[in-house]
Amino acid sequence: MRDWRKFVQVQLAGLPLSPGTKADVVDELAGHLEEVYEGHRRQGMTEELAAQRAMKQVTDWNALQRHIRNAKEREELMQNRVRQLWFPGLLTLTLSMGLLPMLVKLGLEPRIVSWSGPDTILFYVPWLLTLPLFGALGAYISLRAGGSARAILFSGLFPMLSLAACFFVILPLSIVLDRSIAFHLTLAGFLGLLLSWVVAPGAALLIGALPIEILHTRKMHSQRVAGA
Amino acid sequence: MIGAGIKRGTAELAVLSILEDGPLHGYEMARRIEEQTKGALRFTLAALYPMLYRMEQRGWIRGAWETSSSGRRRRCYRLTPAGKKKLSPLRKEWAELFGALRRLTKVSHA
Repeated sequence: MRDWRKFVQVQLAGLPLSPGTKADVVDELAGHLEEVYEGHRRQGMTEELAAQRAMKQVTDWNALQRHIRNAKEREELMQNRVRQLWFPGLLTLTLSMGLLPMLVKLGLEPRIVSWSGPDTILFYVPWLLTLPLFGALGAYISLRAGGSARAILFSGLFPMLSLAACFFVILPLSIVLDRSIAFHLTLAGFLGLLLSWVVAPGAALLIGALPIEILHTRKMHSQRVAGA
Repeated sequence: MIGAGIKRGTAELAVLSILEDGPLHGYEMARRIEEQTKGALRFTLAALYPMLYRMEQRGWIRGAWETSSSGRRRRCYRLTPAGKKKLSPLRKEWAELFGALRRLTKVSHA
């Protein structure tokens, strides 16, 4: 009895898919070859002839490998984006932003660093102190899912990127809709908001995410060196 | 208008049509297509699976692992609503191709 799984595994050794997807492809193709082989055996062919006929199902394994990769690649890309980028990013955003109103409700007031009328800068210090943890969490989940250095950083910094997007979309929109905001908003006030809602949270998240990204980069580098 | 991808379309039409009757795994799909077309259409493993994966990626079919009564694990494919929707224009395209070929054949024989 031939080990069709092993045979296909060897033929598709260079198939650049994730281990799970690749194992599924190998199992499926091996199952097909086995059924072709058994079909020929039922027709009375010798083991050797039946095996030869089954193997004729594929004349160029490299071409097949290429075709499977092309067909599966986009699917893999989408799955990877969800696992390595969107899931950790959105989880980090939900947890970190969900914590802010809870802390305020618990009575942890923001720290006023500068006050000059409307240009007050508020720092939610307890919240900012928790952000490295969330940055690290997002980065770690992305790392575990096999994310690239860029995906790891993106996942860790996702809350800051979302805040920045809100800041640069909602604020101009508010100014267009309500002219009085434009009248009251000074450059110092704008920079203050930017600092307290984008720069400071971004820096806090980076403190958590960066060590994980560095760890990943070093690991990749040492693997490359070992493989060279 | 007959599309440029008619050749690939024929293979896809064959798979979608055979799956219209119910879910099948790859080997059984190839066997039934060959049987129903009396050997005119034959799918080797190399031709069948990249196409199945492509069609699955487009959302026309969906594969899921199933274990048969004999204990054999196989990936069975079934038609999705999007696949059912795709069948009708593909059939129309084929009817156009056959119509065009019939007309051409008559001209050639005249």
